[in-house]
Amino acid sequence: MSEQTSWLATRLPVAATLRAQVMGILLPRDMPYAATFAALVTGAVIFLILSGAVLSVYYNPWHGFDSIQFIIRDVNYGWLIHGFHETGTTMLFGAMYLLLFRAILHREYKAPGELVWFLKLAVLLLLLLTGFLGFTLADGAQSYWSLQNAALAVSQMGGLPGGLGNWFFGGPAGPSTLARLVVLHTAIALIVVLVLAIHLAAKRAIARIPGRPVALHPYYTSQYFVAFVVFCLIFAVLVFFAPHLGESRLNLVPADSLVVPAAITPPWYLLPETGIANTAASAMGHLINFLAAFAVLFALPWLDLSKPGTPPKFLSRVLSYILALDLIGLAITQTAATSILTGILSVLFTAWYFLHFLVLLPLATATETN
Amino acid sequence: MRLFLAALAVLLLAAPAARAEDTLNPPHWQSEGVFGSYDKAALQRGFLVYQTVCAACHSMNELHYRDLTDLGLSTAQAAAIASTVKLSTGPATLDDIFKAPAVNASAFGGALPPDMSTLVAARPGGTRYVYNLLTSYQNAPADVTLLPSHYYNTAYPGLQIAMPPPLKDNAVTYADGTKATTAQEAADAAAFLTWAANPDLDDSKEIGLRAVLFLVFLTIIAIATKRKIWRESL
Repeated sequence: MSEQTSWLATRLPVAATLRAQVMGILLPRDMPYAATFAALVTGAVIFLILSGAVLSVYYNPWHGFDSIQFIIRDVNYGWLIHGFHETGTTMLFGAMYLLLFRAILHREYKAPGELVWFLKLAVLLLLLLTGFLGFTLADGAQSYWSLQNAALAVSQMGGLPGGLGNWFFGGPAGPSTLARLVVLHTAIALIVVLVLAIHLAAKRAIARIPGRPVALHPYYTSQYFVAFVVFCLIFAVLVFFAPHLGESRLNLVPADSLVVPAAITPPWYLLPETGIANTAASAMGHLINFLAAFAVLFALPWLDLSKPGTPPKFLSRVLSYILALDLIGLAITQTAATSILTGILSVLFTAWYFLHFLVLLPLATATETN
Repeated sequence: MRLFLAALAVLLLAAPAARAEDTLNPPHWQSEGVFGSYDKAALQRGFLVYQTVCAACHSMNELHYRDLTDLGLSTAQAAAIASTVKLSTGPATLDDIFKAPAVNASAFGGALPPDMSTLVAARPGGTRYVYNLLTSYQNAPADVTLLPSHYYNTAYPGLQIAMPPPLKDNAVTYADGTKATTAQEAADAAAFLTWAANPDLDDSKEIGLRAVLFLVFLTIIAIATKRKIWRESL
């Protein structure tokens, strides 16, 4: 070892810590590729922060739509960086929803995993907020009216939510609102990294020491590498051959404060949450529905009556898959043209969501335990 | 204007242009599909249609004259085209935005012609929608009463559009000898607007193909590496 390294190592033993983190971690031999979702989420968040940093150099909140057109048309490889950021969001939420689905399917939320589960939900909440703010920064017709609706809804609420909302948005959608949201979009994205780090620490704290373990490196680093490359491959196909996937075309019309779109569609990753919120009539109702949807997720460790450590049986597995289909169906009703049918279906899908968590899951797990 | 068109015709003649196959029956565009790319001859013809017809009412505020080099024109040719456009400050240069028309707010019954920079990307159906719109003007059926100064168009949502039929046969004279039928002009204008909404399509497909091929090979190597490492652990 050179003089330089030991000088640094005695004062800041970062290399040794890193080596212990990578080499010293022992893992079971049978972890599937699906166990890499959390790492892919972290990678996607870092990638989005880097591409977002480049975009923020050129983005001008006072001329949001035009400055994005400027980035796409006039900045060298601006179209590529913009595409990275837009499609990277799709990859991030794809990995995030798969991570949550896997946690539900394998009952990772049961003791002692409650805190890890809460942190996953916190990451989802923060990502949804970051994603929505990023969507409003696009400043197209859909973005503008989504922001207008959100800002008006919170200003109608009064009390603490209204005060917080006004502070957050700085009033209804005006130029300075976007300037404010740029800061919040960035700040919350950085908080996500922090929560992901806490999530990793909490997950490692409850990890069981396996019988015949293998080291993280090189065994699982090679597995992570495969997952990472395949993730990049899917990303490359989407970013180069299917850009704007999951975004409303109308968002490529500049925002106009005098023209309201016939339907306001959020980006795809917000569709299930929007569906649940929209079954209520008032702004307060939307908020209550949204909070209730997350409340049942936070209560999941206690709504599931199975004994900790028991693998899910057939019935609860089937219910988990039906829940996933239910949420996909709910998302589809939000993109389809508004009609009586989609209205009824979205209420039914929302009802099933709450029925699943409050009635079916407790019943199924209770009968399976006995 | 005549000077401008003459200059444009000469310049387009000088630009490399390939004659394409019959793209009108049925209408299709080279830019469609996963591996689609732009037909530069069609883009140049479409620009002529835009400049001669559309630009009288529609702005394209996101485009500069320098962007014309994407259509296969040289910088000098693009500069020459720009210099024939009269702005209030004098002849346009490469760094000027496409000249915005002065449309009276009360024209067309108050229906403001939309900016066309992102029109194809923003409309469901994109290229085909623009082509259909331009070729679907008809006489209104007897039971339809048109709104004042509206026209019957089967491709337009609501069937009544404030835009008068913009194209007619021989509205432009193509330098490459293509017959300027209404359908041909509509197809070329649609091609040009497709490029305007997504000027980086060719670059995207080219880089994308390389990236995907690279990542496919990297996937194979990564899987082989992983299997070799795990074999040694047993």
